[in-house]
Amino acid sequence: MRARSVMLGALSFAVILAVWELVSRAGWISPFFISRPTMIAAALGQAARSGDLAHSVWVSLREFGVGFGAAVVVGLVLGVAAGWFPIVEYAIDPFIWFVYSAPLVAFYPLFVLWLGLGPGTVIAISFLLSVTPIAVNTLTGIRNVSPTLRLAARSFGARPHDVLWKVALPASVPMIAAGLRLGIGRALTGVVIAELFVPSGGLGSSIAYNGGLLRTTEMLASLMVIVVLGVLCTQALSAVESHVDSWRTGPGL
Amino acid sequence: MAQGFSPAYEVLPGRATVGVAAVALFLAVWELAPRLGIVDPFFTSLPSRVLLAGVEVASAGTLAHDAAVSLTEFVTGFALALAVAVPLGLLLGAFPILRDLIDPPVMALYATPQLALLPIFVLWLGIGMGSKIAVVFLGAAIPIVVNTMAGVRQVDRALVLAARSFCATRRDVFVRVILPASLPAVMIGIRLGVSRAILGVVVAEMYVSQDGIGNQIMRLGSAFRVDRLLVYVLLVSAFGLAMTTLVRKMEERVA
Repeated sequence: MRARSVMLGALSFAVILAVWELVSRAGWISPFFISRPTMIAAALGQAARSGDLAHSVWVSLREFGVGFGAAVVVGLVLGVAAGWFPIVEYAIDPFIWFVYSAPLVAFYPLFVLWLGLGPGTVIAISFLLSVTPIAVNTLTGIRNVSPTLRLAARSFGARPHDVLWKVALPASVPMIAAGLRLGIGRALTGVVIAELFVPSGGLGSSIAYNGGLLRTTEMLASLMVIVVLGVLCTQALSAVESHVDSWRTGPGL
Repeated sequence: MAQGFSPAYEVLPGRATVGVAAVALFLAVWELAPRLGIVDPFFTSLPSRVLLAGVEVASAGTLAHDAAVSLTEFVTGFALALAVAVPLGLLLGAFPILRDLIDPPVMALYATPQLALLPIFVLWLGIGMGSKIAVVFLGAAIPIVVNTMAGVRQVDRALVLAARSFCATRRDVFVRVILPASLPAVMIGIRLGVSRAILGVVVAEMYVSQDGIGNQIMRLGSAFRVDRLLVYVLLVSAFGLAMTTLVRKMEERVA
């Protein structure tokens, strides 16, 4: 069953690439619009040899790492504080809603004024996009921990901070993990969108730059790298998730 | 809910009071800091100036045109996404072979920031409405497909078997059991899709366009008119909040 899924999935990608190559070679659609897989592979090979590929991946990953890392720290702290103290939740609620629904990219001219036309602006947008789901999910997770668990811990003499560290936080792992999952996607989106506007040397900037020169092959090559990075991030998180949550035995609470 | 470990819970002021107070404090600091010379108002503007700019924007008359352009892009792209993504998600959920074939590319797109495709869409469809509609379509369609598919797969098998035992045809099972049971998941996809679609319109118009809200935001940003820029940002946020609230209300209806 599992093997069949993998086979069919691989087949699906193979068919897409083959049709793409064929359509482009036969001239049904001009390679100017869609390039073709072999040309993209050649461009990637060249970029890998010249070091350009490693450089733009490094720039984007660094921005992503700093933005998402800061969002994890701030989001967890805010989320735990707001989940534990209702008054904190009430105070930050309006701001979270604003950051959640505002088109944050629209602030990029302001960030350029404050942080300069470079990685700082990209990191700020990536951070703001990813911090809200992490904070909101942590808050919801802590708030919804079963009262029975809390009372049981209290009855056995646990102090409030024991309840937080040993009961509330472990019990919220699935919610927090879901928040991190949303956050990773949004942090990556933030980096790519911001790089479309801010020339930082990363993958999004490379797409925008080559797009401006109508170099379809190079544009699609950078896009492929972004797709691979996105899939890898998601897979890595699933692995971490099952590791951290491995103490849970039953089918959930 | 939280009694027993938070003794002060009962005497705390309510949600609305604290929220209003926090926002008022934020506005006061934002208004006073530039006035006292702590920060340069060129970088931050002031709430009072944003309010004035709001009146100016409302009376200038270009807002209606830009809003109409952006709304048309949003509605067209979203309607196309609904028309394609819901049936596709239902099909993928119902037929495992189709799912094995189409799920990997869809998942790859799901894990990718779809807005990275924006420059390609501009190359294919030009700088007009077409490229924006394509971005909205893709941004909304992917989460709807993924959630619809998951919704169909999570339908309780006992329900399906029960319906079959009472002589329901396959079509009856699909229309009367699987569709209603997966509707909540479809709505979650729609809610995620709405916020991605709104971001898509704004970003696509900021990237390259001749009119629309995103175009105005870009112009004002380049001219560093922070006060008017914030008016447009607040308008889009209010629209996003209204749409999300609307979808949440619909979710409560179907859940």
